[in-house]
Formats: sequence, C-alpha cells, structure tokens
Amino acid sequence: MLLEVKDLVIEYTTQSGTVHAVDGVSFNLDEGEALGLAGESGCGKTTTALALMRLLPYNGRIVSGSILFRGRDLVKVSDTRIRKIRWKDISIIFQGAMNSLNPVRNIGQQIAEPIVLHEAVEEQEAMRRVGELLELVGINRERMRDYPHEFSGGMRQRVMIAMALACNPKLVIADEPVTALDVMIQAQILELLERLRKELHLSMILISHDLSVMAETCEKVAIMYGGKMMEIGTTVDVFTDAKHPYTQGLVAAFPDIRGPRTMPASIPGDVPSLINPPTGCVFHPRCKFAFDRCTTAEPALAEVTPGRQAACFLYPEVPEVVLRTETVAAR
Amino acid sequence: MRAVDGVSFDVKRGEVLCIVGESGCGKTTTGKALLRLVDTTEGDIFFEIPEEEYRRYETMRSRGGPERAAQTDAIRRKYSFSWKEQLAWDTRQILTVLGAFAAAFILGLGLPALAAGLFRAALVNSAFLLAASLLCGLLIGMAGSLPPTRISARTPGMLGLLAILAVNLFPLLAAKEFPTSLPTASADLFGVWSAVWGPGFFGMLAGIVLAPAAAGGASKILLGRRRETEGLQAIKMRTLRRRLHLIFQDPYESLNPKQSVFEIVSEPLVVNRIAHDPEEIAALVGQSLEDAGLRPAEEFVLRFPHELSGGQRQRVSIAAALALQPDFIVADEPVSMLDVSIRTEILQLMMELREKRGLTYLFITHDLSLAWILADRIAVMYLGKIVEQGTAEEVISHPKHPYTQALISVVPSPDPRHLAKRTILKGERPDAVNIPGGCRFHPRCPVAFENCGWSADEVAEELKSLSTAGVLPGIAQMEAQNPWTVALAVVPGTTPEAFIETFRHVVKEHRDSRRALKAIAGVRARGGYVYVKLHQGSEPRLVELEPGNTVACHLVTAPAEAPHALPA
Repeated sequence: MLLEVKDLVIEYTTQSGTVHAVDGVSFNLDEGEALGLAGESGCGKTTTALALMRLLPYNGRIVSGSILFRGRDLVKVSDTRIRKIRWKDISIIFQGAMNSLNPVRNIGQQIAEPIVLHEAVEEQEAMRRVGELLELVGINRERMRDYPHEFSGGMRQRVMIAMALACNPKLVIADEPVTALDVMIQAQILELLERLRKELHLSMILISHDLSVMAETCEKVAIMYGGKMMEIGTTVDVFTDAKHPYTQGLVAAFPDIRGPRTMPASIPGDVPSLINPPTGCVFHPRCKFAFDRCTTAEPALAEVTPGRQAACFLYPEVPEVVLRTETVAAR
Repeated sequence: MRAVDGVSFDVKRGEVLCIVGESGCGKTTTGKALLRLVDTTEGDIFFEIPEEEYRRYETMRSRGGPERAAQTDAIRRKYSFSWKEQLAWDTRQILTVLGAFAAAFILGLGLPALAAGLFRAALVNSAFLLAASLLCGLLIGMAGSLPPTRISARTPGMLGLLAILAVNLFPLLAAKEFPTSLPTASADLFGVWSAVWGPGFFGMLAGIVLAPAAAGGASKILLGRRRETEGLQAIKMRTLRRRLHLIFQDPYESLNPKQSVFEIVSEPLVVNRIAHDPEEIAALVGQSLEDAGLRPAEEFVLRFPHELSGGQRQRVSIAAALALQPDFIVADEPVSMLDVSIRTEILQLMMELREKRGLTYLFITHDLSLAWILADRIAVMYLGKIVEQGTAEEVISHPKHPYTQALISVVPSPDPRHLAKRTILKGERPDAVNIPGGCRFHPRCPVAFENCGWSADEVAEELKSLSTAGVLPGIAQMEAQNPWTVALAVVPGTTPEAFIETFRHVVKEHRDSRRALKAIAGVRARGGYVYVKLHQGSEPRLVELEPGNTVACHLVTAPAEAPHALPA
C-alpha cells in the first residue's frame, strides 16, 4: 500500500467560525493505481489533497487522523522531513495550473527549481533533465527559455505536469487538471496523464468535479460530499451501479452525448455550509431517500458489497459513526 | 484579425441554437455581435424579419444587379441592426439644414432681441440682450450638433422648448436686471413683460410660433438623415437592447460585488426607464427573482453576491436578464462554472422560461453534450467559420465534418463501459491572426487529403522532419519556392534521379500518417535541383445537404453532385 489515509479531520479557522472542511476521510491507494476524488466544489477535495502534502494554509490544521505514505505518517513527521518528501515523493498539479506559473521566470528555470532543490545536481544537469521532461510531455525542448505567456493554456498545463514529474515522484496529485480547458485539449492532457502514468508507473490522485473525466482515467473513484467520504469503489462499479444516493445523483446529473436527448436529473438544494454542517448524514437535506435515522445519526463508510464502501443507512450493514477523539494536531 | 469570418445562421422564434466550438473560435464574438456589443465589420444581423421578407432578400441578393441592391438595402435598412450606409450630403440638404438653423436663430432670438432693442432702446441694455440671445443661440446650436447617438425623437421638442424659453424668458430676465430703466415703474413681472413686449408684439408672436417650428424642422431633417444612414442602429438599438439579453459565463465575476441583488436586478429597469415607481420596481424585481427560482424573493433582495452560492448567483444573472422581459437571450456558457448537480437546475430553469415566456436562446458552449440536450439546432464553429450546421440529431448522431466527428469522439462519457474510439486532434487551433489557407482545419484534420489547401511551407516542414528522422536521406537544402512548389537541393554524391526514386517511395509509405505529403502532385528534376509540385488547394464551400443542414468540407458533396455508385 502506497498511501493510507485514515480518519482524516481538517478544520479551518475563519472569522465566521470553524469550517469542518474534511471530516473523517479514509481511503487507500496502491502503487500504480489512479484514484479519482470527486464531488461538488467546497466538499473538501482540494483540502484533502493539500493535507497530503502538508500544504494547508495558515488557518487550516489537521485535527486528527493519519496519512500513511509508504508506512510513514505524514501528519506526524517534522517540517524538515516533509519538505524532503514534498515534490520528491508526492507532487501536485495545482488547480488553475495555467495561472500558477511564475510569469517572470522562464519555464525551464521553474521546472528545474525542484530538481536543484531536491537533488544535489549541477544546473547543467538539471537543465538537461528539464529538456527530457519537456519532451516527455510533448513540448519541444527548445522552448525551455520561453516564458509562460508564450504558451497556450494546454501547453502551460503540460509545463505544470512536467514540473510535477521533475523529481520522479511516486504519487502525483492532479487537482482539476483539465478544468477550464477545451474538450480537445482536455482529451490531449488526459491522454498524456494516462500515458505517463503507465510509462512511469505512477500513482495518481485525480481530483475533479467532473465525473466523466474520471470515467476514462481512474481505476477507483471516491466520492466526497460535505467533507465526508460518501462512496468508494472501482470506477465501473460506481458509475454503473452507484450505491449512495449522492453518487446516484451525480452520475445522473451528467448529460450523455451517446444517450437519449433528455435533461439530466439534478440534485435539488445547495452544498451545505461546513461551519454548521447538518446533523446526522451530511447529505440528508438533499437526499430523496432520507428517513428519520439520517437526521440524527451519521452513517460510517462501510463495505456494502465486496470492494465497495458507502456511507448510507439505506444499507443495513452500515454502522453509525462513533465520536472520534482528537489525537494529533499538526498543520 | 478576423475573429468571425462569414458566419451565417438564423434562429427562429422559440428555438434554441447552440454554437459549439473550442475557445477562440469566435463563439463569444458572434454572440456579442448579435447584441451589438461588438460592431460588425461586414454583414447583417436581421432581427424580427418576417419570413417572406427574408426570402425576398435572399433571392434578391443572389440575383444581384443595381436595382436589386436598392431593394435589398431597403430591407436591410428596415431590419438589420448592423446596417450602415454612407450617403453623401448633397448641396440641397446642406443648404436646407443651414437655412433652418439660421431661421431658427433669427426668428427665435434675433427678432425679439431686435424688436426689444429697436423699440425700447432706453428700456434695457441692448448689448446684454444680444449677449443673452447669443448664448441661447449657442445652446440651440450645440443641441443641433450633438453627436448622432444623442439625437432622438425627443430632440425637436426639446429644441422648440428651448426656443420658447429664449423668446420669453431672456428679455424678461434682462428687463428684471435693469428695473430702474423701466418707464412705467410697475414692479410685478407681468407689468415688466408687457412693458418689454407691448410694442414688439408681432415680432414676439412670430418668434414664439416660428422659432420652435424652425428649430424642430432643422432637427427633423437631421433625424431623418440619421434614419436613412444608420437604419435600426441608434434609434431602435436602445429599445432593442431591452428585448435582447445576455447571460454571462462566470457568475462570480459578472455580478457587481458592491450591489445588492435588488440593485443588480432593478438596474436594467431603471436604465431603460421601464418603471419609475419604487413599488412597481420592487414588484418587477420580485417577479423576476421568483421566475428565476429565487423564492421567496424577499429573502434575496437585500443580499450581496458574496452571500450567494454559485447557482444562486447565476439565477440572479438570469433574473437581471429577465427583468426586461426580453425575447431573445444569448447565453454564453451559462453553466460552465457551476457544479454538475446545480447545472441541470439552471438549464431546466432556462428551458422552463422558454416555455413560459416564449424565449429564444442562442446558447454558446464548448460542451457538446450540453448542446445535444438543449439545442434544436447546432452550429459547430472552427476558427471563425461555421463548419457544420444542422439539427441536433443530425450534427451529433451523424456528424459529417471531420472536426465535428473528432469533437464528439472526445466528449467523455459518464459510462466507463462505453469507451468510444477517440480521435484526439494533434496540436492546438492556429492563431486567428494566421489562418491556414484552403480549409482552415486541414493542418489538424485526420483525413485531410490532396486539395485541402496544403502550402509549400507545410510540406517542406514535413519533409524536413522526415529528413531529420533519417527516413528521407539526401536533402541538402530545401525551400518553398512559391506556394505550390518546394525546391530541393540534393547532397553531393546522389543524383537527383536516384533521390526522386527514394522520395517517391518514402512519400508513398508515409502519406497516410503525415497527411501533408498527400499534397504532393509530382516531383521532377531540373538543373540539378528537385522540384516538388503540389496540388492546388481551395477553401471548401458550405454545402447544403438538406434544408438547414450545411457542411463545409471537401469530403462532403451536395446530394446532386454526389457521384453515382457504379452498378454492380
């Protein structure tokens, strides 16, 4: 097991109160596996990803839980240690990547930066590696000295991918890697990620609000809602036979160009505020199957069919959540 | 840069037309041009043109000829809101306008001033009167020379009013300034008035009657001219804007953060002077908000955008667009920034409103699956041109253009079991400043062939890459001699003839994977050099396959032109 996240709880302190951004999230990732992390905006996907690299903003903290990466708990390791792991072992392709590049430095320098920082190599050697990386992601190595504004959106995304791969990481987190890109460029980038994953034997966490992006790239998907994990299973299973009402809603909300011309179903209501999350199951105010128990008790994520976990009381085997005790605190 | 180049489509009342394409293909520019938020360089945008008028226009235009042009211009003047015509001012018109202004000035100001000056020289300071009248004349003159957009149907009335004021008020004010010089020391205003005007009665009467008439006449000529020269443009555009509306892409940026929901939704009402009464405004705002699904409206009116979720913001945008009871809405990617679960609600709302209010939509999206669900008809754009247009059924289920086919193939399916074979186009769309010749899609087209418009540069590029890959040895130098010939110099030691032999072989082998090689028509040696001749390319015409279904691709031929299958 490459990554094992257990009962992760993350809070943000804001002026209007404590935001329970991630609340008891657990999932596993094998080596070479791609996991899709899906859910609406504000459900804690990005927070989870940032926590994996211990990159939470100043007002966020990991309240409890553990992130075991190759047996080491990332929640507990020291800042010096995490700095060695960050980008070397786990790297991230940030959301809105096209705008995360530094406009005043050429892309070669930017890609070389982590290489120079993490590996005691000469600048020349680093630049040679940059050239290789650029070719790997389909950019001519002569464009190394170009500045971000000289690249199109799709090309900048490729640069970001090259940057994430700079130190041969074991795990790459891609946070909305294709959002805001054109369909054709989306397809190109997804194909590239898929190819790289196979070639370099990477593990990947793909974060997206767009389930259809995952359908074609991930083996496993985890559905999050309101800071909680709703369902985890293999992609085919989850998409074809969703167990959790939220997942069912999400899958049904997608228009299918190969299907009939009908308006997709919607999930009425809005994402709950995570400052005052609803009691019981966090999804119950929008759930059409909600019954009494859902408003009072919170369902735990449990196996409902082999290889499939869901957190919903519709399945009798799902137990209630017992109160978690705060164990560690780290930023 | 030609952002949009020769795009034609029509939207019928109550219809949803989707414009689909990659970013930068000119979708948004087209949408904005429809609302005249972007001015068109050429072409017409007809609004509410009756079917038979449009047909008349089409037939007339296709036939051509000077008197037909006059007739089409008449139709364009009436219905097109991008109509602009450069009419030369003829001398008669110039004289009439100048004369009218002079008459207005003399009658309205000069005459009364003269009367007052002549008959009551001792009464008032004539220099002051003259100055006041001149000022007034300047005002009228300024009103007359206002920029065209400021001239409206109200202008003649305003000028008339100004003239009346000038005739009556200025002498009065002037007399009031110098009460000591009044012969009869009557203090009340009427006394002053009759004292000033008594003897000059006829002058005054003439001034009162004629001045407004002359001023009105002058502005009427101007106004009429405007109508002639600019059609719907300035006069009707303002009223048209109420009936055409836009829903923007990003609800996070299109709403003013400093305005409350009430202000956002009521602003168009106030600006367009639909309602003045605060209660009426409140009622209309409430109605729009409820129609847009923000119920109860009272709960939302006082909120600010940051207090709303993304879906609610987009509903506010829709409410603001609805407040004016428009007929036609351009929706520019209205749901692309929203979460999927909310998306459908907004789309459903838009479709409900279409039923309820008889709205017509131009839906701009890059998402073909949305177009599939919403559109009655779809137009696929590439680099400023429509490459395929037809009913949703036709375009999505039976795409004809290779670009449409590729676009459809890459739309992700929510069902992982349906992994369709994807055609991923290489590269990105070219810059609109540098549009490829021939068919503008040919450099990325997976099925491009001989006459799609390959240029010598493109072929030279392809040969160069073959040469660097070591597949095609023997090239010393290469350049595009003209758009249809590539000249090659062969390395010493090889004869051009031997090179041509390998060249033919290599091209034959690679022409399916490197489509540019398809353009090679022939190769021959002359004077120690090798010349590669290319097929002539051309830009594909829009071919109408059946009424309303058009495709622009060399691979698609009109049914009548289609070669008949040989009998077995």
